[in-house]
Amino acid sequence: MIIPLLKGLATTLKACFSKPITLQYPEVKRPVAPRFRGHPELVINDDGDRRCVACTLCMVVCPSNAIRGIEAAEGENHEKYPVAFTIDLTRCIFCGFCQEACPKAAIKLNNLYELAQYDKSRLILDIDKATQEKSQLRMADWL
Amino acid sequence: MEQLTQFSATELARMIAGLIGVIALVSVNALFLIWMERKVAAHMQLRPGPMEVGPHGAIQTIADAVKLLGKELITPEEVDRPIYLLAPIVVFLPVLLCFLVVPFSQSLIIRDMNVGIVLILAFSTLTVLAILMGGWASNNKYAVFGAFRSVAQNIAYEIPLLLTVMSIILMVGSFRLTDIVAAQSRYWYIFVQPLAFILYIICATAETNRTPFDLPEAESELVAGFHTEYSGMRFALFFLAEYTNMFIVSAVGAVLFLGGWRGPILPGIFWFLIKVYALIFLIMWFRWTFPRVRFDQLITFAWKILIPLAFANLLITALVLKL
Amino acid sequence: MLEPGIEEKTFVLNLGPQHPSTHGVLRILLEMDGEYIAKADPVIGYGHRGHEHMAENRNYLQFLPNMGRVDYLHALAYNQCWCMAVEKLLGITVPERAEFIRVITNELNRITSHLLWFGAYLMDLGAFTPFLYCFDDREHILDLLDRVTGSRLTYCYYRFGGVPSDIDREFIDGCFAFIDRFRSRWKDYDNLVTKNVIFINRTKGVGIITPEMALKYGITGPNLRGSGIPYDIRKSEPYSAYPLFNFEIPIGENGDIFDRYVVRLAEMEQSLRIVEQALVKLPNGPIMAEKVPKRIKPPAGEVYQAVETARGEFGIYIVSQGEVKPYRVKLRVPSFATLSFFPEMAKDNLVADAVANLGSIDVVIPEIDR
Repeated sequence: MIIPLLKGLATTLKACFSKPITLQYPEVKRPVAPRFRGHPELVINDDGDRRCVACTLCMVVCPSNAIRGIEAAEGENHEKYPVAFTIDLTRCIFCGFCQEACPKAAIKLNNLYELAQYDKSRLILDIDKATQEKSQLRMADWL
Repeated sequence: MEQLTQFSATELARMIAGLIGVIALVSVNALFLIWMERKVAAHMQLRPGPMEVGPHGAIQTIADAVKLLGKELITPEEVDRPIYLLAPIVVFLPVLLCFLVVPFSQSLIIRDMNVGIVLILAFSTLTVLAILMGGWASNNKYAVFGAFRSVAQNIAYEIPLLLTVMSIILMVGSFRLTDIVAAQSRYWYIFVQPLAFILYIICATAETNRTPFDLPEAESELVAGFHTEYSGMRFALFFLAEYTNMFIVSAVGAVLFLGGWRGPILPGIFWFLIKVYALIFLIMWFRWTFPRVRFDQLITFAWKILIPLAFANLLITALVLKL
Repeated sequence: MLEPGIEEKTFVLNLGPQHPSTHGVLRILLEMDGEYIAKADPVIGYGHRGHEHMAENRNYLQFLPNMGRVDYLHALAYNQCWCMAVEKLLGITVPERAEFIRVITNELNRITSHLLWFGAYLMDLGAFTPFLYCFDDREHILDLLDRVTGSRLTYCYYRFGGVPSDIDREFIDGCFAFIDRFRSRWKDYDNLVTKNVIFINRTKGVGIITPEMALKYGITGPNLRGSGIPYDIRKSEPYSAYPLFNFEIPIGENGDIFDRYVVRLAEMEQSLRIVEQALVKLPNGPIMAEKVPKRIKPPAGEVYQAVETARGEFGIYIVSQGEVKPYRVKLRVPSFATLSFFPEMAKDNLVADAVANLGSIDVVIPEIDR
């Protein structure tokens, strides 16, 4: 009866001398897997253009209507590109369906997982904020 | 006549110095103990504990105390006002008074009374009254539960506590704490009375309402127990009393079983504090290892196991001494 | 307060919805006679989100992420159940490798669920430290699952016809490393909890679910198996790749809290065995069925599919009318049946036991409220 109690005490004492497993969170951020589904963002090509062709497939597939307001315009060579595109992070459930639905791999879920903001409107991304180049919201400078 | 006034003047100075010393000790001790508890808990749970405020979070508790001071004192509408307001003070005063007789070293003692141990036991019992007052006056069902549990528990555990203390008193033949320490000049009583020591630690854990006997404030059952309705500094006073109580029971434990201030090289006060904090660490260690016992099991344990054991220990001690 | 002269023997205690040990927004009205419970009355619905209705308003794929949110602790089993139900409607067979991957991830997820229960339950009993140890172990699985599924809690990983992405070498190595690590931890858990006399006293002979009562209330999962009835969907109605693996159904004897605890611990070990076998036997091949239509529009019909989750039998009943959206979806959740037994368990017991009982049946409140 007493011995298991002592063994229990020994277990906790042993833990006392092992290294803490904590990450000091805001200073040290947890690395996420390459496949991690974070905030959706629009991908740009090497030449600096968005890959998006405003086909609205992502908007259709989105279960929570987080993608909306896609407006298309036509370029000189009849290629389509978006002029308006809203990603609403307050609605997004990070399922990754948009990424799968996109025929051009133009929308991608990045590795950001923090959503805390003082101002909710900052979470509603317009086309500029949602674009990979402009957002550059890599972990550290998200806040 | 002249002698009398002079006597009372020095006595008065001694009292004031003692009071200031005790209040300083109580606050510093509580701040340190809370930090220590957090660190002990954290390291047992593979965490580093508070790290942000000060080196290794050393002044985290000061920051918390300041926060508590700045908080609004909420008095719920339905409470029994006078008793509700009085309870945090009543819980704190007897704890302070206990320091009157604690021998920190040969000379560092406010009043070396010949009934020292009785005084401490008597005053520490008053804590129950405060908890009952607080719980009852809060007019909250959880608080009342906590208060009732506390009363039942403390009465149950006071008896074996007294009996174990009595077996030591029998050996020494004096209630004076300095005499008890002096009697341990050759060997500590923990070696002759190991059962008494174990019983004392169990009862002390129960007396200070610590896990596995923290029924009065069992947060997974009673939210926060008797201090559910207290906020800000009033809550802090309950908290302070709890940690000071831990210091008192550990100090008494050190005096009774570990030879008080006795030890080589270092001055007495250091040895005393080392022993006290070692005992406190033991109590913390229990808390972060064991689950909580159930209320009826707790009472059964006290009345059916601890009290007969303590009685047997007392009888054996008496018999051995007689022989 | 009472009028003078009126006697009242019992009083009502509100356990929740903001109580530290109701694990979510559950409210239980306890009619107390002193410290004893005269009557317990669970009030549910605080977390109601209308999942079943949401299913009627979105297409089959769009409802998939919802499944991970019905029971967030064993999300993959719920994902799998939905996928299997829709696959049944569409008549798709899933390639073997995909089934294996489903089993592996599913069993890992089951371990996380049981581990979380283990830690949170010990916390209910007042022991804080095991909670952190469990989360340490759980974190390793979450890292593994993060690697495969891309998420740490609401996985949404399986798709109709298979899985969207394959597992890699690193994941397989990580799984084996985890299995070794986790097996070496049993000793610590035994010392800290299973053999602890305080824990045994709190759990043995408390909160007994008799086999008759369990069947009457439709209790499934570890709670049923703790009462000695070896019913497990993975064995009785084998699905996915489960028939290919050797594993046992651990059962208890007395149906008390301790038995349910032992059953859950043994189940974690069985899950490890399944994962081990599946990783060894893992076949090569496609991970997605070939004939999956882009637009899911199943023919008219009805289908029921049940899976064994960490909490018991979870069933989905779909009525399709040949539209892109289901006509009606009914979710059969295990926690609801278990919680309905709680009043019988709590009656004439101490409030401390009520907390112990409530924790031991491992209910997930959002699953009950749906």
